[in-house]
Amino acid sequence: MSSILIEMSGINKEFPGVKAVQDGMFTLEEGEIHSLVGENGAGKSTLMKILYGMYSPESGTITVRGESFPSLTPKRAIGMGIGMVHQEFMLVREMTVLENIILGFEPRRGAMIDRRAALDKIDYYARTYGLSVHPDKKVGEISVGEAQRVEIIKTMYRGAEILVLDEPTAVLTPQESEQLFEILRSMKKDGKSIVFISHKLREVLEISDRVTVMRGGRHIATLDGSSATAPELARLMVGREVFLGGTPVPSEPGEVALSVEGVYVPGEKELSKLRGVSFSVRRGEILGIAGVNGNGQSELAEAIAGLRPVQRGRVVLGGVEVQNMPPRKIREHGLSHIPEDRNLRGLDRQSDVKENLAACSFSEPPLSRGGVVNWGRVREFADDLIRSYDIRPAGVDVPAAGLSGGNAQKVVVAREVSGRAPVLLASQPTRGVDIGSIETIRAELNRAKKEGAAVVLISSDLEEILSLSDRIAVMFEGRITGEVSSSEADELSLGLLMTGGRR
Amino acid sequence: MDTTNDILSLVFNATLFHSTIRAATPILYATLACVLTQQADILNIGVEGIMIFSAFAAVATSYFAGSWVLALVAAIIVGVVVAAFMAFAHLGAKADIFVVGMGVNMLAIALTRFLLQRIFGVSGSFHHNDIVAMPRLSFDFGGSELLNDLFNDYSLFEPVGIVLVFVLAFILYKTVWGLRLRSTGLNPQAAETAGINVTMRKFEVMLYSGVLGGIAGAHLSLGYSRMFVENMTNGRGFMGVAAMFFGGANPVWGWVGCLIFGFADSVGSRLQSLGLPSQFILMIPYLATVLVLTLAMMRKKRAETARKSAL
Amino acid sequence: MTRTSWGATLLTILLSLAIGAAAIMLLGYDPVEAYYQLFRGAFVGKFNIGGVFERFVPLMLTALAFAVSAKVSVFNVGVEGELYLGAMAAAWAGYALTGLHPVVHVPVCFALAMVVAGAWGAIPGALKAYWRVNEVCVTILMNYVAIFFTSYLVGNPFSARTSIPRTPSIEESAKLLRFLKPSRVNIGLFVAIGVLLLVWWVLYHTTWGFRLRHTGQNPDFSEYVGIPPKKVMVWGMILSGAIGGLAGAIEVMGIHGHFLDNFSPGIAFDGMLASLIAKNDIRMVPVLALFLAVLKTGALGMERFTGVPKTLIDTIIAVFILLAAMEALFSWKRRGAASAGEGA
Repeated sequence: MSSILIEMSGINKEFPGVKAVQDGMFTLEEGEIHSLVGENGAGKSTLMKILYGMYSPESGTITVRGESFPSLTPKRAIGMGIGMVHQEFMLVREMTVLENIILGFEPRRGAMIDRRAALDKIDYYARTYGLSVHPDKKVGEISVGEAQRVEIIKTMYRGAEILVLDEPTAVLTPQESEQLFEILRSMKKDGKSIVFISHKLREVLEISDRVTVMRGGRHIATLDGSSATAPELARLMVGREVFLGGTPVPSEPGEVALSVEGVYVPGEKELSKLRGVSFSVRRGEILGIAGVNGNGQSELAEAIAGLRPVQRGRVVLGGVEVQNMPPRKIREHGLSHIPEDRNLRGLDRQSDVKENLAACSFSEPPLSRGGVVNWGRVREFADDLIRSYDIRPAGVDVPAAGLSGGNAQKVVVAREVSGRAPVLLASQPTRGVDIGSIETIRAELNRAKKEGAAVVLISSDLEEILSLSDRIAVMFEGRITGEVSSSEADELSLGLLMTGGRR
Repeated sequence: MDTTNDILSLVFNATLFHSTIRAATPILYATLACVLTQQADILNIGVEGIMIFSAFAAVATSYFAGSWVLALVAAIIVGVVVAAFMAFAHLGAKADIFVVGMGVNMLAIALTRFLLQRIFGVSGSFHHNDIVAMPRLSFDFGGSELLNDLFNDYSLFEPVGIVLVFVLAFILYKTVWGLRLRSTGLNPQAAETAGINVTMRKFEVMLYSGVLGGIAGAHLSLGYSRMFVENMTNGRGFMGVAAMFFGGANPVWGWVGCLIFGFADSVGSRLQSLGLPSQFILMIPYLATVLVLTLAMMRKKRAETARKSAL
Repeated sequence: MTRTSWGATLLTILLSLAIGAAAIMLLGYDPVEAYYQLFRGAFVGKFNIGGVFERFVPLMLTALAFAVSAKVSVFNVGVEGELYLGAMAAAWAGYALTGLHPVVHVPVCFALAMVVAGAWGAIPGALKAYWRVNEVCVTILMNYVAIFFTSYLVGNPFSARTSIPRTPSIEESAKLLRFLKPSRVNIGLFVAIGVLLLVWWVLYHTTWGFRLRHTGQNPDFSEYVGIPPKKVMVWGMILSGAIGGLAGAIEVMGIHGHFLDNFSPGIAFDGMLASLIAKNDIRMVPVLALFLAVLKTGALGMERFTGVPKTLIDTIIAVFILLAAMEALFSWKRRGAASAGEGA
């Protein structure tokens, strides 16, 4: 009885350096809730943004109710009854809920906004689907959950029959998520069709009629919601064509070099705030911190490195409490740090390679004396690093912006690892990096460990965590939800911990 | 003691109201021009230049055509042309709006000075009996000196400016057009996903800003006086930018900013004519604006810290 | 700055001069003769060459001040105010301190000017660094405050009680030696060139400059490698302000001999535009400042000998700046649109 509303096939979309979607396909039937799952970067959001017309694909067709298009525009998509709730809300914080909902589709009385008509319509959707909102509050003053309901009403208001939700629960508390599911069920009952993007398997299984798994930009499988199981989905999500890693090299842990004790750290989103995180790392071991992005890993790394305040708790580095010290002091106490985003923090892209390599040591002899930089020495220093870390092109004057992802990351790694600091904090060290560079970087982490450094490896790449770590802690919603030794860990159990399941 | 009272009564009397309005009005038009563009996230620093061009166009047209209406029309046309050029340079040729604005200000001073020499053969200033000023509004209040001081002899665009403040506020906050405009400045991506063409909106408000800048120029040269003086805006365009910042791009609060400027200006010039230092009074609006901006940002930062807090 | 943008700047200059030539022709003059007289007016004779350098010094220093602030990613529109405060400080130290040897007196005047103007520059720097208050706005406003304040001082406590508001003349020991007389060019020229070289050396050869540049280019990176970006930003603004103050001091000590109320017709705004067109490249700053100084000086000669009004040259300069701004298609998109490519 159900008919196919949307069919996407042969979709290809490339961003500079990344094939975001390859031969992507997706179908949506009328009146179903269809989940789209996969790791970060699997291409889920990109595929749906193509459907909503925000990106146009290089190839492929999008068929909506039997009508085929090579690409759409948001206006077109809205006209065909497609609505999308983005991960980053498309709301104007300074405007009221009502104004945000009607923007672009205002009911008018002359040139004026017909407030009465708008309120009536909003009230209708609010009552029909249980979407309670305060029309006259400014969006900046409402909770994230309410903002999401505003986004949903906005799509309904624009006449959406098909609703795409991009990681809607990533910003919600469990109670709010439960509310959202109620809303989605009532919408489904009303005949709406819903695409639900998520990587939280428990939720996906709870709500979906069908589940499509994506990995590396490709369609992997579409399963029936009632028969799918979490282990099966986890396996499909993390499965890999190339398996790079081996098993962790044996270690002889020494004394504790870094311990984090019950820290509370402010976060960008509700669920990435750290609330009572504790762990410790010994010299000569790698502690892997696994988790889906946005569960507080970025905040954790920044707090340890002094780039984000610690509101409560302690960070002890080499026996000294370093929380809330300026980053330079923390580095002096023995931390080196590979940041998660090399373009934002890791590199000064407007500078050349030598300045980037020297950025942590330029103020000390021999690179400078009495505040005067010795550029000859800096060149030698940079040349050495370029050679030993095989950075290409091998020029000290090459602008950092001109390096490929892998070589840019090697610049960061070379700078941080060459100082031989007792503690190495590596955040997503191989993200967006070619296979050759991945091997070099991982080898460096292992070498640091063998030489007695305490290494904290934060990665959302499970395979990376498993092939390097001696111990593995899993972060979920700002807390560490489990810690296992590498011998007893496998992708499946970690995958479940990462997605909020119990072991 | 007596002299203090004398001075106070010379400075603060019923005519102060009028002179405040008089000093505030040219700034007000500049402010409204900036308010409009700022709502679309364009800092229109070139309003000073637009005013100079328009003031010149108004005087020249009034001199040759003998009509203040034609002069006003010419001033508006010139204002729109200059604004359209700025919009093109910024939105089309991707020039930084700040550089374009400063460049236009420079061009306005140089070119009007040049044209002043070329067309009228004078330098410095040009006034002539053939120049027709804008009409003044006079009412018969009988013998009441107070009412005369307060409400008589306004230049046409002084009351019009006040009306415009509220018209603009209404347009911005009550109409569909205003809603869409504000959304382009506050969150262009959200506007874009609601099907609003952000670039076109920006271009459009630049043109309206040219209209307001044109009126400002015409009022400056023909509402106040009947002449053109080199660089006659004398920073009033920048004051308009400042008042816009003071009001956070809200026309009514921007007007309040203009009144503070106008008040300080009037009190300052009265003190000066009495041989008293006026500079500290004249500083007040600028210092107040810095303070308002700083406090707003401090509040914003505190709110952000609270939002991110994990406790 | 890459070779292509040097070429683009040159092309813009030529284009503006061509537009100027067309305008001169339209006015019924001979453009070749006009430009020839412009050239003579700038380069032939001590008075003319001196005149070029007279204008070059404040233009170059204020442009440098702006460029330095831009290095820490602050748009210091407040150089004009710093110029005024520096000029006033130098004038006061110049007339109030008596009996000093020139070797002491001149540096004291410079130092006071730089300290006062530097402190003034620190205010918008700190407001931006710590509370992200828009510095363009704050500096525009603070210009007025600075100018009013100097106007008060020159009208009241520091007044020479002359018919025009000015301070008493500075002591001979505070005056900068003039050369190329009868022009008013003075050893301030060498001070300015020295400061330019020094600033360049500091920026590119000291650890302090290293911190400064990286803070401006990427404050997140700076913070992460252990450079305190907020402090560095404030220090960058102090340096910028100090250079602006020095420009004012040289105007007083070398050209006027006293502080004159409202003495600057927006010198620092011309300087700022020169720096903007130079894309805040320290090496290009003197080139553009010299170019503008040559045009402005030569315009006087051109007017005298051909009758082409000098205001036309000011117009051409403005056209040049507008063209150059539009040519700058890439560098004027403010930062923030960095790489959004990775991860979907």
